[in-house]
Amino acid sequence: MLVFIVRRVIISFFILLAATFVMYLLVANSGNPLQDLQESRAPNREAQIEARIRLLNLDTPAPLRYFIWLRGAAGCLVPFALECDLGQSIQGQDVTALLSVAFSQTLQLVIAATVLAMVLGITVGIVTALRQYSGLDYTVTFSAFLFFSLPIFWVAVLLKEYGAIRFNDWLADPTIPIGVAVVLGTISGLFWMIVIAGDRTRRVTTFAAAFVASAGALWLLSETQWFADPGLGIVVITVTAVGLAFLTTAVVAGFTYRNVLYAALAAAGIGIVCHFALDSVLDDPSGLTIVLLALVTVAVGMGLGYGLGGLQRRQAIQAAVLTGLGTGGLLFVDRLLGAWDSYSDRVGGRVIATIGARTPNFQGTFWEEGLDRATHLLLPTIAIVLISFATYTRYTRSSMLEVLNQDYVRTARSKGLAERGVVVKHAFRNAMIPITTLMAFDFAGVLSGAVITERVFGWTGLGTLFVTSLARVDPNPVMGFFLIAGTAVVVFNMLADIGYAFLDPRIRLS
Amino acid sequence: MSDPTTPGSIPAAAAVAGDAQGMNVVARTQAQMVRRRFFRHRAAMAGLITLLLIVVLAFSSIGFASVPGWWDKDYFSIATVENRGRPTLSVIPTWLGGDGMHLGEHPFGQDNVGKDYFALTMRGVQQSLTIAFIVGLVGTVIGTMIGATAGYFRGRVEAVLMRFTDVMITIPLLVVAAVLGRRYGSSGIVVLGLVIGLVTWTGLARLVRGEFLSLREKEFVEAARAAGTSARRIIVKHMLPNIVGVIIVAATLAVAAAILLEAALSFLGFGVQDPDTSLGKLISTYQTAFSTRPWLFWFPGVFIIAIALSVNFIGDGLRDAFDPRQNRVRD
Amino acid sequence: MTDPSLPVGAPLPDPAAGGVNQPEIIESAAEVHVATKLEETAGPGEKEVLRVEDLTVSFPTDDGLVRAVRGVSYAVHEREVLGIVGESGSGKSVSSMAVMGLLPKSARISGKILYRGDDLLKKSAKQQRALRGKKIAMIFQDPMTALNPVYSIGDQLAEAVLSHEIMPRKKALARAEEMLALVGIPQPKKRLDNYPHEFSGGMRQRAMIAMAVINNPDVIIADEPTTALDVTVQAQILETLVQVKDEVNAAIVLITHDLGVVAGMAHRVLVMYAGKPVEIAETDRIFYHPRMPYTAGLLGSIPSLEGGGGGSRLRPIVGTPPSLINLPQGCPFSPRCPLATDVCHESEPPLAATDELGHVAACHHWDKLADVDDPTVYFRTESEAV
Ligand SMILES: Nc1ncnc2c1ncn2[C@@H]1O[C@H](COP(=O)(O)OP(=O)(O)O)[C@@H](O)[C@H]1O
Ligand code: SF4
Ligand SMILES: [Mg+2]
Repeated sequence: MLVFIVRRVIISFFILLAATFVMYLLVANSGNPLQDLQESRAPNREAQIEARIRLLNLDTPAPLRYFIWLRGAAGCLVPFALECDLGQSIQGQDVTALLSVAFSQTLQLVIAATVLAMVLGITVGIVTALRQYSGLDYTVTFSAFLFFSLPIFWVAVLLKEYGAIRFNDWLADPTIPIGVAVVLGTISGLFWMIVIAGDRTRRVTTFAAAFVASAGALWLLSETQWFADPGLGIVVITVTAVGLAFLTTAVVAGFTYRNVLYAALAAAGIGIVCHFALDSVLDDPSGLTIVLLALVTVAVGMGLGYGLGGLQRRQAIQAAVLTGLGTGGLLFVDRLLGAWDSYSDRVGGRVIATIGARTPNFQGTFWEEGLDRATHLLLPTIAIVLISFATYTRYTRSSMLEVLNQDYVRTARSKGLAERGVVVKHAFRNAMIPITTLMAFDFAGVLSGAVITERVFGWTGLGTLFVTSLARVDPNPVMGFFLIAGTAVVVFNMLADIGYAFLDPRIRLS
Repeated sequence: MSDPTTPGSIPAAAAVAGDAQGMNVVARTQAQMVRRRFFRHRAAMAGLITLLLIVVLAFSSIGFASVPGWWDKDYFSIATVENRGRPTLSVIPTWLGGDGMHLGEHPFGQDNVGKDYFALTMRGVQQSLTIAFIVGLVGTVIGTMIGATAGYFRGRVEAVLMRFTDVMITIPLLVVAAVLGRRYGSSGIVVLGLVIGLVTWTGLARLVRGEFLSLREKEFVEAARAAGTSARRIIVKHMLPNIVGVIIVAATLAVAAAILLEAALSFLGFGVQDPDTSLGKLISTYQTAFSTRPWLFWFPGVFIIAIALSVNFIGDGLRDAFDPRQNRVRD
Repeated sequence: MTDPSLPVGAPLPDPAAGGVNQPEIIESAAEVHVATKLEETAGPGEKEVLRVEDLTVSFPTDDGLVRAVRGVSYAVHEREVLGIVGESGSGKSVSSMAVMGLLPKSARISGKILYRGDDLLKKSAKQQRALRGKKIAMIFQDPMTALNPVYSIGDQLAEAVLSHEIMPRKKALARAEEMLALVGIPQPKKRLDNYPHEFSGGMRQRAMIAMAVINNPDVIIADEPTTALDVTVQAQILETLVQVKDEVNAAIVLITHDLGVVAGMAHRVLVMYAGKPVEIAETDRIFYHPRMPYTAGLLGSIPSLEGGGGGSRLRPIVGTPPSLINLPQGCPFSPRCPLATDVCHESEPPLAATDELGHVAACHHWDKLADVDDPTVYFRTESEAV
């Protein structure tokens, strides 16, 4: 196994090396970096041209110039010992400095979006595979096809218009006209009708219940001016946390043996109690406090699972930890929303942002700054998620269908294993094996996918750096961008291979 | 392989026939089955019809090359902007309280210098489709050639080709396409299509190689080799026909992806350059006009989606037609 | 890959090659010596454990309704071994999957499946599940694919126990170890941690048997348990099955397309054709006095059975089984039957009593078979016929 990994690392390294060479030549060939100067009428034109030629070593032929670049780049491999030098931009800025700023922005954008797309996509993919040819399956299939036929920038522009500009306008007087509530209620009714399915009476009741609940909730939210100062409130949190406890239990263990449920419920309960107990600590915490609290949550969850799990200790630990973290997440969101009012005042009511990663020069409490980030992340994240989500659902669905057709799934059923175990333990585990490859590709590809999203939403991340530099025929930042994107591809493919081996004993043990 | 005298067990031929869903109806040929399954795939048929309509509309309306079309306006003449350039297209009949069904002077409206937006959009459709088709074709041909060669010859040839593929896969498609587009965007759409096609073959190459590796071990290939058939002939005559389904499906999906790729490149400014236009370029040009003249944004967008969606559905239908097993489950 | 049951240099069992592809020099499994003879084991009891009544299963497909099972009835008594024999596609697997409740949702099922008098088809999904693997267990044809590649053998065996009873994992694993020992896997404790790919085909099938009996079931349905295995291993697996059956006091429904397999194994045999039983009788009657031409045809393709064709050439039944979508009118075997007359083409013969009590056959002309000494004679070419 170790040999396998080492071999894989070495091969990946050489592949990346070759790729940078190809890329370097392509970039060098992509245009004339002197064009703007040659067309300029500045009196010191010649001198400027001369200076740029020296800055970019343009007098050396491109294949040789690559090795100059490579020598500097090699320094990046050995941190601290050598200097990491990726050259300079046309304007003479250090590429490494440019990259590090841009990288952190892009990372913020990409991580949340990818994780969200993965979780949602895989879940929906499994559900549609289990209910193949149902109304839900057809709906999701059509939506998935629609999503990956959407030009991401087109969606992004729409999101900007409707998700931000008009939404913010509406926030000034957040009332929902009764007609809109009825329409949205109908949509929600149809949605739940498709999800729940069943016979005719069941459909009608589902529709009616969902319609009344949604339209009613909207009306209530509108009447109480909820959108002016949103929040979850302890009732919603409690109900959701208990629901979460049941859900995780249903997924990891089922209800035949109650101990798992007790552990999960205890985790939810403790979370809610802490909501009150930690009130003052959470007024303006630091990021570190939040991380510590998350760790404590995990520890407490494990303790609960261990203590209450009985014969299903392992499952109880999983359920308790997941429920605990979920409850924590709810409390976190509630707190963020708590800052809505003051945040809204400070940004002049334009809560959902359309440009950049943060409001410039914005300073506030932990929650206000958190909300600031969240509102900036919201729309670009939706744009990225839509498209990745489509890929994940389709892929998971077909992988699950393939696996569900395997003999060993039939064997699992034949021993009397409950359907939950058949799906979670046997089918899903095997279906995940090919999906790891997709995840790797997607995670790496998302960096370049962010290129467009960043452009539309004015994030000054890696994508913007790439586009502006390429437009100017500024080779070094482009190469810098590629070095990161290419490394991401290579590293994630490697991780996929290793994950593959981890998931599949036939590879692991050979 | 079937030895009818195998003792004590049921003859293989009978067993095989029995397994084929208990049918001894006249054996249909593979191609007929595929065609039948494809034409039964409703989404694929809808996609096919939509796509054909769009193609016919785009090429017949404003004509192409020197062939004139039935639409009386062109996509480059500047005219006076009437009624703020609003679209005159109306699809709601009068008895429904609409304006009646008519095209009007400028069905899709006019841009800010008065160009007819219908003609412009049709031009964009033509260009985008052309590029996507070239990209799909070039990528498929190269991918098939590289994959087939690597899979058939194995050994050093395979090592070299597949390592090269690995290197190319490392460069994200949008990135390399943008770099190439930066250089060749102004050389016209055919050149642009060709160079982008040159970098979109990697996935297919891997796929074809995998198929070839397993085909290679099949008896009919070994028989052909033993008979001294040339490698080229074995590949083209014996092996490729066996994976034509895989290739057609991949090619279709490649076209759908190319439509979106072209749009993205044009949006970033590395795709089609003036005076050419494309759907992506139209959206990019007019995105800032969204709040004042949303139609300039909607029409090309809807066409991109319609095309990409149609082609994706056609691809899905083809996949089901070639590989119906994928959709069967015993749950 | 060390399988003590495989002789050195023996070819690994090829999952793709069904029994139909055996090398011809090797004897049929009928002749492979099964050390534990069925007669030496505990005989059938009086009580019925499983009774199937007029079971029909059909699948709606694009091409029409596939009528895979068209009225199967049989009963299995305690400790009895019932053989079900028929060409591939005759509905053997579908009917047994129906008993297990494992058919796809699209299947249309009717009839009765009585386990100790209770109709399984009337039970809720939950009640069905409680019986599945606990009272009625199943062994499948292809051990290469029947085990989940990502879990250890011990895990998968323990899971069978834990599906029906919550207990500490350790206890379940101990039970798994016991079962592995029972089915003759050496070093069972060590083997618990192995993954399926570390087992040979024969060992995997033993593990499947262990999994089937781990909950002491009353009935084991073995669907072609030896078809995918190397011929040399087949007899060992059958022997293990007989031994284990005795250990847990279970009845077995042994499904096969190979009459040779049921020879030394089954108390009674049910022959299926085109989704219907066409003959049911004690095993000896089936072999020596078949009353249905199809059975005789199957016998005719077995070499060197007493009363068989001596030195004359074996001949398989010509033709293929009928389409289950458009069944021909009359006897479904008529297109292939050398005894067929007009009446055969017009009406389908019901399963009816023959010259001996308990021997039923579905043939208009069963008496013609009773008239000759060797019924397989109809399946030889003229020149070879005695
Ligand atoms: N899910 C299904 N859908 C349609 N036809 C099926 C399905 N499962 C089995 N069949 C058909 O039912 C018939 C009987 O199959 P089976 O019981 O597996 O035969 P065997 O006797 O070889 O075990 C076959 O013709 C098979 O094609
Ligand atoms: S009924 Fe007629 S056709 Fe059918 S098996 Fe008997 S003799 Fe043959
Ligand atoms: Mg079968």
